[in-house]
Amino acid sequence: MISLAMAKSFPLLILLILLISAFIMPLVKNNRVVKGISLGTMMMAAVLSVITMIYVVKNGSFVYRIGHWDAPWGIEFYISPMEAAIGVLFTWVAGLILWYSLYSLEKEIPSEKLPFYYLLVNVLIGALLGIVYSNDIFNCFVFVEISTLASCGIVVIKDKKENIKAALKYLILSCLGSGLFLMGIAFLYSITGNLNMTFIYKEVAAAQYVYPNVILISVVLFTIGLGVKSAMFPLHTWLPDAHSSAPSVSSALLSSLVLKGFVILLIKILFRALGFTLVKELPILDLILILGSLGMIMGSVFAILQKEIKRVIAYSSVAQVGYIFFGIGLASELGVAVALYHVFGHAVTKAMLFLTVGAMIETTGKKKIEDFKGIGKEMPITLGLFTLGALSMVGIPILPGFVSKWNLALASISAGKPILVAIILISSILNALYYFPVVIHGFFGEENLKDRVYKSKQKPVKEMLPVICLSVAVLFVGLISEPLIQLFSLGLK
Amino acid sequence: MNHMILQVVSKIMIPFIQVFGIYVVLFGHLSPGGGFAGGTILGVSLIFYRMVYGKAETRLKFPFELMMKMMCGALILYGVLKGYSFLTGGNHSYLPQLPLGTPGNILSGGYLLPLNVLVGITVTVTIYFLFTLFYEGEI
Repeated sequence: MISLAMAKSFPLLILLILLISAFIMPLVKNNRVVKGISLGTMMMAAVLSVITMIYVVKNGSFVYRIGHWDAPWGIEFYISPMEAAIGVLFTWVAGLILWYSLYSLEKEIPSEKLPFYYLLVNVLIGALLGIVYSNDIFNCFVFVEISTLASCGIVVIKDKKENIKAALKYLILSCLGSGLFLMGIAFLYSITGNLNMTFIYKEVAAAQYVYPNVILISVVLFTIGLGVKSAMFPLHTWLPDAHSSAPSVSSALLSSLVLKGFVILLIKILFRALGFTLVKELPILDLILILGSLGMIMGSVFAILQKEIKRVIAYSSVAQVGYIFFGIGLASELGVAVALYHVFGHAVTKAMLFLTVGAMIETTGKKKIEDFKGIGKEMPITLGLFTLGALSMVGIPILPGFVSKWNLALASISAGKPILVAIILISSILNALYYFPVVIHGFFGEENLKDRVYKSKQKPVKEMLPVICLSVAVLFVGLISEPLIQLFSLGLK
Repeated sequence: MNHMILQVVSKIMIPFIQVFGIYVVLFGHLSPGGGFAGGTILGVSLIFYRMVYGKAETRLKFPFELMMKMMCGALILYGVLKGYSFLTGGNHSYLPQLPLGTPGNILSGGYLLPLNVLVGITVTVTIYFLFTLFYEGEI
């Protein structure tokens, strides 16, 4: 088939489509056309990424050189099943979020800024896909910088005092993270002489006995640098402000996709550039495991203490990113595969949670949790979708949250650390403590439901359709958990 | 800054700054310099003009819409040109590329000259926007 033979160039084509079309938007006067371009390009990217995925599953991973020079001199993309699957996830979730934004974004940001918003979103998704696909560390750094600036942009676009404060905090902390990441690259380059991950893997085997400390330093710099950006526990302080003050569409994008891009980059550097056997001997994975476990517990504890519903969900992201780091820290193939699966599960679930909460805040105009008592009668579909997301977060069977917790528990037992199962259990119970009150007070209670009119504030089904699609995606990701986890453990080899 | 001496001096200086900027952009592939350096120099000339003649007059000469169109057009063209080069190289398809020319001529170096010009336009507008946003808060 011609389309499948061309599929090798599709990852690059996706990036080009997204990044070039982004700059058409400020030239267009009509906001409807801007929205059409944005959604259309994202759908094209989504279709292309699915074709790439089919090609990779059939023919195995491949390397695609960019431009006219081969690897050590030129740049290349490395597409394994893992990268292809993450590409599918990013483009489809971003597409659904953009579809939701068609109806709600104008209520949150001024209409003359709409073209710039969609410009930033396209650049952001393009840069994130660049991080995922690229096999060259410095190229990844450039994409990291682009995505940082674009994600600060989609926070600050609301132009209120709290947004500017949150975005400045985010900008300063993530610039610190990029700086550390760049220093990590410099250390690694100085001992291996390469920026291409495949070649670093070859060189580092010889270098590890000569320069063990340099490797340790660079790995720590990578972990802390990318940890700041992906909200690893003690470095998460920018996240609640940025995610809670941004427009709900931005929060969904930031929480479900942007955090994940940097985690994927860390996984690629640790396990592809340096390799399992080398990283296992370093103390870094233990550090990641401890910080991940701390994040799982403390993120949930902080979430319980919050009063605004968006801040609760933002702190919940800290806890969920903790699960991903926990999986990486287990230092087994199953652990990392489950971490990648959790990237999948959390991305769809958190996007759904932020969009439903955005719909609730939009129709009621309130932000506090206590104001949402009895909302289940007014907005049954919205709160129903929220409930599905909450159940997945807490870990009810079939849903992705359960699958990743179950497999993380299995992985921690097989890694010889059964005590960690207790941390997973405690974290699940804490998750239930802050998600279930919203649902219970929303649906039940005599006093809560008094004077509420059934479906009085419900948004039209047309506007909630993207969120319903996301809920189907949540169920789907839960159902195909087994093949996905197998795919990821294949992709890391 | 409505000052007679400044205005007279700047009338003499700005053309020279701009010619030098254009020179740095166009000779970027042959000598030190290039799109970024030359674009910065061109952007400085616009900043100079703005500081001396004020907001209203600069807006007449360099309106926001025009600058935005130039910048976005340059970025799109850059993406299309370089994307074509990337795709043909990656697919090993031997489609026509820009000729390399004789080394030393201005029209040589394949993609370097047009890309330098496009970078120059983008950097000019960005530098000008950055300055005005920090200086007066609006463009």
